[in-house]
Amino acid sequence: MSATAQPGLRGKRILLAKPGLDGHDVGAKVIALALRDAGADVIYTGLRKSPAYIAQAAVDEDVDALGLSILSGSHVELVAQTFDELAARGAGDMAVFVGGTIPAADREALEALGVKGVFNSDMRLADVVAQVARALA
Amino acid sequence: MAISRAAASSVAEALTAPNTAPGAAPVIGVTGAPGAGKSTLIGRLVARRVRDDRTMAVLAIDPSSPRSGGSLLGDRIRMEAISGDPRVYIRSLPSAGAHDGLTDNIAEVLGVLDAFGFGEVLIETVGVGQAEYGVRALAAAEVLVLMPGAGDYVQAMKAGIIETADIFVVNKAELPGAERLEAELLAVLERREVKAPVIRVSAVSDEGVAALSEAIDAFLQESRERETQAARQRFRLQSLVQRRLREVLDQVACEQWRLPLADLYCSVLKRL
Ligand SMILES: Nc1nc2c(ncn2[C@@H]2O[C@H](COP(=O)(O)OP(=O)(O)OP(=O)(O)O)[C@@H](O)[C@H]2O)c(=O)[nH]1
Ligand SMILES: [Mg+2]
Repeated sequence: MSATAQPGLRGKRILLAKPGLDGHDVGAKVIALALRDAGADVIYTGLRKSPAYIAQAAVDEDVDALGLSILSGSHVELVAQTFDELAARGAGDMAVFVGGTIPAADREALEALGVKGVFNSDMRLADVVAQVARALA
Repeated sequence: MAISRAAASSVAEALTAPNTAPGAAPVIGVTGAPGAGKSTLIGRLVARRVRDDRTMAVLAIDPSSPRSGGSLLGDRIRMEAISGDPRVYIRSLPSAGAHDGLTDNIAEVLGVLDAFGFGEVLIETVGVGQAEYGVRALAAAEVLVLMPGAGDYVQAMKAGIIETADIFVVNKAELPGAERLEAELLAVLERREVKAPVIRVSAVSDEGVAALSEAIDAFLQESRERETQAARQRFRLQSLVQRRLREVLDQVACEQWRLPLADLYCSVLKRL
């Protein structure tokens, strides 16, 4: 893991979660390690969690950002549900990032929901980390 | 003050935080080597002890990387048995600058939790070696989790944590070596004249968790006075002074390190 320290991430709390049914979390784990190595405190919640569970964990853990890794294709619904659950807990303004296999056509829909950054699996890790750092600085 | 604020506050801020007398909630410390099964066991234990009239809080501490300062907080994911239970509050914390198995400002964080009226608070320490046993000062009951295949661990810990724990758990009891570990542990305890329950548990299958829960109840019954205000206050003071000392040492300029030790000692003390 070679992502370099990002001063903007020091002391920032980030929850990484996988809503939906796909069972691959290698990507999420790689991002988790890269963010840690860049100085963030990263909480990973594991596979197949419901939007309600994720929103509650994000609120309980008082995180600065929430990263959703979605490979199942139903990202727009899952992200919309997660925002609803966040809003129901008074955290509708949470900084949310989405990673996975997101067709270009869906980007706008996600951004319209309030997503702060959309990352595709082919992006360089260092760029993902730098973009998160900028958004949280 | 929110928990994040309490956890991240500077020495100066911590000094102005309201005095946190220990609340009504007993603190149960769970400690042991990395991978011994602390998180899995806490999930099981809390699932058994939580009731509608006894909500529970878990503070789960994982180590901060000394290089990046970041951390991967992976305890929550192991607490499957309670994930999603609205009566349970789980908070993951990085160890930050603390080297006692806990985290900076843990006493202030406990103070914030007190205000919420949880029935019990569990603390999972980072996986400890020999010399980190800060949780002793804060816990009404301290549970040490051991696992087979780490027999040398009992050996290595003889003088350390073994003397501070109240209840011993031989976890992963379904694995080979559990009986041997239990025998070794009992022998060490007997030699040191430590009288404490030793309980075999398999956190993955929930076996033995009921017995552990009962042992905790029994211990809390007879020892409620241990978690005194004085103990928590002493712990807070010690950790604040230690943090201040680290700050002062970080400010010592390169060339000053050549001074005689006695001079350095005086000048550091003066700046504390
Ligand atoms: N076979 C067996 N495995 C167990 C048992 N309890 C926990 N484990 C496994 O041991 C591994 C570590 O468990 P954790 O609960 O994360 O251990 P921990 O002590 O919290 O680890 P750290 O927080 O990293 O120090 C996981 O793979 C668990 O599934 C048990 O009773 N039997
Ligand atoms: Mg753990």
